Amino acid sequence: MTAYLVRRVAALVPVLVVVVTVAFLLIHLIPGDPVSVMLGPDATPAQIHAARQALGLDRPLWEQLLKFYTRILRGDLGQSYFLDRPVTQALLERAEPTLVLTFSALLVAVVIGVPSGIVAAAQPGSLWDRALMLAALLGVCVPGFWLSLNFIYLFAVRLGWLPAAGYASILVDPLAALRYMVLPAVSLGFSQSALIARISRSCMLEVLAQDYIRTARAKGLSPAAVTWMHAFRNALVPVVTVIGITMAILIGGAVVTEIVFNIPGLGRLIISAVLRRDYPVVQGVILVTATAYVLINLVVDMLYVLIDPRIGYE
Amino acid sequence: MSPGRFRRSSVAFVALLAFVSSAALAQTPRRGGVLRVGNLGEPPALDAHWTTASITETLTNHLYEGLYSLDASNRPIPMLAESHTVSRDGLTYTFKLRQSVKFHNGKEMTSEDVVASLARWSKQSIYGKALFAQVADWRAVDRYTVEMRLKEKSAIVLISLAVPNNFGAIYPKEIAEKFPPEVKVTEYVGTGPFKLAEWKPDQYIRMVRFDEYKSRAEKPNGYGGGKTAWVDEIRWIPVPEVATRVAQVETGELEFADDLNLDAYDRLQTNPNVRTIVSKPYYWLVAVFNKKDGLMTNAKLRQAWQAAIDIEPIMKNVAGGRAEFYRMDSSLAPVEIAAWHTKLAGLPWNEHNRDKARRLLKEAGYRGEPIRFMTTQEYKWMYDFALLTKQQLEDVGFTIDLQVVDWATLVKRRNNPKEYDVFTTGMGAFYDPTHHIYLTASWPGWTTDEDILRLQAELARETDPRKRMALWEAQTRQFYEKVPVIRYGDLFGLRAMRTVVKGFNERTERIRFYNVWLDK
Amino acid sequence: MSEAAARARWLRRLRRNRNVVTGALIVVLVALAALFAEAISTHDPRRLNPANRLRPPTLEHYLGTDEFGRDVWSLVVHGSQVSLLVGATTMVLTSLGGIAIGLCAGYSRRLDLPLMRVMDGLMAFPAILLAIALMAARGPGVGNVIFALSVVYTPRTAMLIRSTVLGIRELDYVLAARALGRRDLAIALRHILPNCVGPLLVQGSFIFAYAILAEAILGFLGVGVPPYVPSWGNVIASGKNVIREAFWVSLFPGLALTLSGLGLNLLGDGLRDTLDPRLRVP
Repeated sequence: MTAYLVRRVAALVPVLVVVVTVAFLLIHLIPGDPVSVMLGPDATPAQIHAARQALGLDRPLWEQLLKFYTRILRGDLGQSYFLDRPVTQALLERAEPTLVLTFSALLVAVVIGVPSGIVAAAQPGSLWDRALMLAALLGVCVPGFWLSLNFIYLFAVRLGWLPAAGYASILVDPLAALRYMVLPAVSLGFSQSALIARISRSCMLEVLAQDYIRTARAKGLSPAAVTWMHAFRNALVPVVTVIGITMAILIGGAVVTEIVFNIPGLGRLIISAVLRRDYPVVQGVILVTATAYVLINLVVDMLYVLIDPRIGYE
Repeated sequence: MSPGRFRRSSVAFVALLAFVSSAALAQTPRRGGVLRVGNLGEPPALDAHWTTASITETLTNHLYEGLYSLDASNRPIPMLAESHTVSRDGLTYTFKLRQSVKFHNGKEMTSEDVVASLARWSKQSIYGKALFAQVADWRAVDRYTVEMRLKEKSAIVLISLAVPNNFGAIYPKEIAEKFPPEVKVTEYVGTGPFKLAEWKPDQYIRMVRFDEYKSRAEKPNGYGGGKTAWVDEIRWIPVPEVATRVAQVETGELEFADDLNLDAYDRLQTNPNVRTIVSKPYYWLVAVFNKKDGLMTNAKLRQAWQAAIDIEPIMKNVAGGRAEFYRMDSSLAPVEIAAWHTKLAGLPWNEHNRDKARRLLKEAGYRGEPIRFMTTQEYKWMYDFALLTKQQLEDVGFTIDLQVVDWATLVKRRNNPKEYDVFTTGMGAFYDPTHHIYLTASWPGWTTDEDILRLQAELARETDPRKRMALWEAQTRQFYEKVPVIRYGDLFGLRAMRTVVKGFNERTERIRFYNVWLDK
Repeated sequence: MSEAAARARWLRRLRRNRNVVTGALIVVLVALAALFAEAISTHDPRRLNPANRLRPPTLEHYLGTDEFGRDVWSLVVHGSQVSLLVGATTMVLTSLGGIAIGLCAGYSRRLDLPLMRVMDGLMAFPAILLAIALMAARGPGVGNVIFALSVVYTPRTAMLIRSTVLGIRELDYVLAARALGRRDLAIALRHILPNCVGPLLVQGSFIFAYAILAEAILGFLGVGVPPYVPSWGNVIASGKNVIREAFWVSLFPGLALTLSGLGLNLLGDGLRDTLDPRLRVP
């Protein structure tokens, strides 16, 4: 098992190298001179020269790439031109809202999706099953941002139950934080819950059809016990995979949710950075989110191994 | 009196007393509270000298002050200056400064701060540059006196020192000298009633009451007079989505929301906790031509555009379909700037004469080349009038290449004559004829027409108000003949305020929150 | 069983699968709307008619009008063109790219590892964020939307093709073909690709659906096709400010999006059910 883990971690390195390289290349896809675009026509020649040096744009490409790697390893993601502060600092300031949103959405998705899938699988073909799966199918197809608009209209403006937009930090005011998070988390998590429900259902169905389940039933265990004790644990494996994939989709989907609900997270940061041509920040956000995805997958794989020891021996 | 009657009338009396006193209490300002204001977005800078952006104007006018300010009739009144005298020949202005005025860092404001600040302003600000073009010498005489010597008589000294946009904010000398004019200041110290507590980009800007603020003794008057910071804190929150801004003021998460879309008016009217404010004027809409390079250097083409457009349906659509939110007017200064409002007849404005337009196109030798028309969706009304214009023009034979970019890009690109032919923008109020930036050669669009520039120069020199008005009317006629930009109509703006906010001056063009309190 | 008979059996199974039929029907409907947009529209979707703004659905304007008086029905119908263009092109490009990369990786042990690492790296980027970042560099427009989405989705197809190749490479008949001296490329074309068609179609349906949704999201965010070009994302975006006064503007393109997604997902589900690999005939 340790060998597997070591191999798995080692496999990370080339992937991260690719991630960093792609992020690096982004700034070079820009037609024309990125520096004058960033600083604008009012910039003095001295400022442009300083900026080019800071970005390292005056050196050959391979040297720039190498410098980029070393800077990244040191944790230096460059300087934001609009925000007048290191990119790392800007990212740290915005990380909390995105993290809270992503995890809340994940929670919503799992809490709605997994039980739905299991219930549907426990009685395949029943009314419950068909209704839930129809809802799940719709959930996958309904665009999240469209759902957000309708939620705001219904619950905030019409009914006044929840705030229309905004964010409060959990560390500062947990109750307000909760109120602000409900609509964003639900509209973001809803479509993911549909995906999780469908996959949970098919996994459970596969497991329930297995021989050892029939044996357990034959032994006289109640259906509920069968479902929960045996089937669930084994169905967990693919469900955990889906959760990993869900994280990736959520990180991307958070952008739109943050815009609609005015949450000051990384998604809004990248949009403003794009509009302001603050390329170091764009690079930084892309880099961080991609790395987060890779690390999450690593964690998911490790969880795999914990849940199903057989996997480690591949 | 019978006991019953006595009791009833005393109850009535007590009720009346309670009502009157609560009404009186409601009108008595009280200290405290946080005022949350929803903005369009982040200011490009909090340096008043550096940019003409509206957001910067609004925010910096809470932190800083200039020598003069504008009263309710848009005339200059003293702010940091105590008084001024002008020499007999009109060439020397001597300003006496107020004493014991403190900066936010505790230092007292003196003449050296004023000299350094306005020297910096004169190099970067449009209004500063225009004024100081006429200045021969600018210096401190003693601790509380400064002197400005002019090269020639000028009509615009006080008004230039009083305009709120891109204004001559007084910074401490150390800061004014530390940051060259083209570099935004990053230390924010002023004399205003609020000081900067925290700036978290894209999250909020927090301004708190400056306890040592020395208010003028007079009553509040327009942008000037006495200022009191009743609220503890103003929190400016950038909410780029207008629908969200509206929703947040409806639900009470914001006490004030600015720059709202006019379609939201009806809905906001029905909310008992919200007061709608229609601001007049908000902007007047213009399409600015690139007269340095490209297709629109051809005057006939510009005249054809002017002849073709039917302005009223465009304004009506931009104003959410409501007649009360726009105004058709050919005057270059809006009605509210009474001193410079013109009522001239026979101007070729809003002729919507398609035949004339087609004729002018032919005379211009136009062969259908695409005209690059730059606009943005960040100011929705810009995009709206651009799209409507495009259709009207194409119906007459123009070919319009509409380029929709973000505002930051538009502002950058409009400085480069190779990048566009026309761009959209809105003009705020100009308090003096010489401040109309689109009539100068240095502002994007580059108006270099000899007659126009000559009249602007004369306006700067002439001090007799009646002669100035005659010059201004002549300039207006030149404007419509030479067509440096296209003037559409006046658009009004929509603001919304929770009813707990009291004392807000609804008449000023831009929002100010001193003298405002929360009745909570 | 002969190949023809196997194919016939395959087609029968497809036809009997309810998901496939329903999904295909919906997709065809949307495609027809896109192809015959001119014919079934009632107005020019780009024609502004300010006097007629924000009208609710009537006989003259089936789905109402937007803030410029443009007919929503015509906008939705024409919007399908952008969506289908983006979806179809992305699907084709990712399939081609995926085949090329997947074949190389599956066949060449030398290229396999580096190619797969690059694919892993590319897949780590959240699709929308990468598209936004690419837009920042290249500017908005249909071409860039397609490019961004193709870059993001090709790795998934590549991995699919690769695993198919790996699965088949060691099968007897392929080894036999090799022993007989057949060139690898010929083997690939004759034996491997046909077996990829199924999974490609399944994967393709889902990529098509993601691409349509992604295009709408980018349009909604204002970084997709120019705002005056009819597209579902653009219309939803324009309707969001008047959702209280004129809910129909955002509603109908949202429904169109949902419907298209539904059709494609049903199709993909159905195809996946029918193409259970255990029944695939070598």
